[in-house]
Amino acid sequence: MSITRRAFMKQGALALFALGLPPEYLTRSLLAETRGAARKKTVIFIFQRGAVDGLSMVAPFGDPEYFQVRRSIALSAPTRGKAAVDLDGHFALHPSLSPLADLYGRREMGVVHAVGFPNPTRSHFDAQDNLERGTPGVRTTPDGWMNRFLGSSGESCAECDGHTLANPRAHAADHAAGQAATLFRGVAATPVLPLSLRGAYPTLAIGDLSRFGVAGGRDPDLHDTFARLYRTAAGDEVSAAAQDGLEAELILKHADPARYTPRPGVEYPAGDFGRSLRQIAQLVKADVGVEVAFTELSGWDTHVRQGGESGQLAARLSDLGRGIRALYDDLGDRMDDVVIVTMSEFGRTVAENGTGGTDHGHANCMLVLGGSVRGGRVLGEWPGLAREKLYEGRDLAMTTDFRDVFAEVLTHHLHAGAMERVFPGYAVDPRRFRGVV
Amino acid sequence: MYGRAVALAFAISLTTAPLSAQRRPAAEDTARAVQLLGRATFGVRPQDLTEVLRVGRQAWLERQLHPETIDDSALATRLATAFPATRMAPGELMRNFSPPDARRRQAAAERAPGGRPVAAMDSVRRRNAGPGGTTQRWRAELVAAKLNRAAFSERQLEEVMTDFWFNHFNVFIGKGGIIWLAQDYEENAIRPHVFGKFEDLLVATATHPAMLIFLDNAESVAAQPMMASPASAARPARKRGLNENYARELMELHTLGVESGYTQQDVREVARVFTGWTIDHLPGRAQGGDARFVFRPRLHDQGVKVVRGERIAPAGQAEGLRLLHRLAHDPATAHHIARQLAEHFVSDHPDPAFVEQLAQTFLRTDGDLREVTRQLFLSDAFYAPRNRETKLKTPLELVASALRATASRVDVSPPLLQTLKEFGQVPYMNLSPTGYPASSAAWTSSGALLARMNFGLALGAGRVRGVPLDPGLAAQEDVRALAARLLPGRDTRELVSAVRADVQANPGSRGRALGLLLGSPDFQKK
Repeated sequence: MSITRRAFMKQGALALFALGLPPEYLTRSLLAETRGAARKKTVIFIFQRGAVDGLSMVAPFGDPEYFQVRRSIALSAPTRGKAAVDLDGHFALHPSLSPLADLYGRREMGVVHAVGFPNPTRSHFDAQDNLERGTPGVRTTPDGWMNRFLGSSGESCAECDGHTLANPRAHAADHAAGQAATLFRGVAATPVLPLSLRGAYPTLAIGDLSRFGVAGGRDPDLHDTFARLYRTAAGDEVSAAAQDGLEAELILKHADPARYTPRPGVEYPAGDFGRSLRQIAQLVKADVGVEVAFTELSGWDTHVRQGGESGQLAARLSDLGRGIRALYDDLGDRMDDVVIVTMSEFGRTVAENGTGGTDHGHANCMLVLGGSVRGGRVLGEWPGLAREKLYEGRDLAMTTDFRDVFAEVLTHHLHAGAMERVFPGYAVDPRRFRGVV
Repeated sequence: MYGRAVALAFAISLTTAPLSAQRRPAAEDTARAVQLLGRATFGVRPQDLTEVLRVGRQAWLERQLHPETIDDSALATRLATAFPATRMAPGELMRNFSPPDARRRQAAAERAPGGRPVAAMDSVRRRNAGPGGTTQRWRAELVAAKLNRAAFSERQLEEVMTDFWFNHFNVFIGKGGIIWLAQDYEENAIRPHVFGKFEDLLVATATHPAMLIFLDNAESVAAQPMMASPASAARPARKRGLNENYARELMELHTLGVESGYTQQDVREVARVFTGWTIDHLPGRAQGGDARFVFRPRLHDQGVKVVRGERIAPAGQAEGLRLLHRLAHDPATAHHIARQLAEHFVSDHPDPAFVEQLAQTFLRTDGDLREVTRQLFLSDAFYAPRNRETKLKTPLELVASALRATASRVDVSPPLLQTLKEFGQVPYMNLSPTGYPASSAAWTSSGALLARMNFGLALGAGRVRGVPLDPGLAAQEDVRALAARLLPGRDTRELVSAVRADVQANPGSRGRALGLLLGSPDFQKK
């Protein structure tokens, strides 16, 4: 059995541990140290990729126009005893999201409505890129804002006295604990790394945790030979990503997230989305140092027969609602350290179109959940649905910038600074924060 | 390093002698042949490299640009035998593979007064009627047929370009009845035009039921449709109107590009132009296979439209055809297509001057895709050393090239489907109209790279059900010979020595060398 020099250099004692040589004292101190450094606040982002109809997620039944222009798809007002959940006498939660209703009641879920970018695009891919790059209108930004957050926030490694690290890879090479703390700070539970997390800072994409690793971890030589083959060549992102994956495998082996089963009674919805949420819960509970977790759910592009209380959109929202609720319950009191944020690239037209659906619109709503959330409120300035208030005469106008919500969560929950590096070209001003966290 | 040395030698030869094929160093010829084959096919085999070096790159490309001159009967026979459904029309597919309850409804509809007689159940239908004769079975066959074509067709460039243009005009088989229509779409709307005129390709996609369903144009009608008769006016019609989905993606993705400056008002106007472009009956999943394109004047918006400042006079279906003609010839479209091609086939960050050249050729030749493709693969920029062995194969390209290197056929293979899913690229299963990305950056992820290593190991060990490895391959222990087979023309010395060290330390591990080579960084790149 051989350990490549790089693996040993980078992981030191941790690599030895992973390879089955765990001196008892080392195990204790290393785990304590890793966990000490890694037990962090976490934000979980759920991207509703494909533009969800926010006016159905959180419906403004207090606006008379809502019923006038959405004749076949409007939810019935909750006051008539229908299934939509009254939030504050003006807004109602879609019945498919009712699993989240008592979280709102406990003030652990807040809504920010009419969120968007000051950018006119109605293109999915353009708007998704805007949301992930965090620089609306600037298509040349090479990295995602979540990656820039990871790169710009000082991570405190016990051995380094908490200084901000200019070069996380080099730092990781020096300290075992730093390695764990570095690699898992940004994790996507998706097969493909989303643009949000792409960039210079090492991040992981883990599509299937149970299959993450070379040959099921049964043959360390294979792992090491691949590590040798993929030894980082300068500037080669493919090799770097492969190396990160191979190293993450070793760390996961000793953290063994698979040991953690969901709490009794917690049931994730079937399918890729439910599985990805379950994996995020496993990683958070494994204390590998996840700060930003990402997953996504698509299928929101409801141009035709969107439905109301039931139908196409209702079915999709049901996955979302049950999934978030399962994640929330599974994490249990961990939710004191976790905030869950939903986002979607733009909202949909205020009026339904000619085919019982909605077309690409402008502002949208976001859900923010967690123990530290100041919820039980629909936040943001509500522009209303009167025709003269609509963006370009047809869409919900934006009154809150996405970046202000993200910045508030990052600064208040993750205690991040350096917002000018996370959102270049945008002056983040705490006075614009909506007070959701 | 190696590439730079070669380039330097090449530069010196340029200064001392006139350029000619004879005087160009053999290593440079090989490197260029590898570059051409790596991008214009689904994987370089030793015999392909020998062929290109024998006839020259230009002659090889010319032949590939005229696929009808290349005998591909072995593949045709194989597909006809193993996957008879690949020769079925959409309606026939639907009747053979749709779920039993949908089939019963269909049969009931056919028995209805005035309906067609119930078709006799043929042998294929009987075979498929049992477990496995389902939508899932057809999806698996559709993907298997695609992989066979990609890996084993002699008309490699046609396969590569068919894949590119399908992706450009993406449709998703999870919607409506598109699962029954996708094969017809690929074979009759895309493939015949990949070396033809862009406008023909555009019109073929615009009028295909798969696209009309996918981007909802089939349901988009004039906001106040003209009433054909007092009878229909008396009947309360289902409320229907404009849907702008196709109009937007037509301009954003298919033609002009998102940066070309069209407005939301233009999107509405284009949507009005295409009202009435629909199918003969609106499908559920069970009926989509019988859909045919029709233009319904009654559903068409009869007013004047203004698109990007140009007035379009009322002219029924001709309005849409005229608009497609204009879009196909717009300089913005030429640039958008040129850029897509350059990003897909040359570099994540192509040289703007090269994109401009391609765009000019597109404009000059009336959107002749054979001319544009020829220039793409013969230009100096394509062969520039900085563009060689730099692209990460897409997952589909990885799988196809691995099959091409190790097998001569692939059967229906659930594990292979699962692998493609893990990689994030199942053919026909992208629900975004954008299609799958082509950039290396988009496919670079830690999890996917581990999955690629595991795929290599499984395939090398002969453990991928449905992929019979070429005889003797798993037992081959000469690492250098294996590397020459998998990576012909490439410098594999370091790779071979690392793999050899591993194999020597683990004797008796069958297929190990092959697996490591398939999972190596060298094999991930093209």
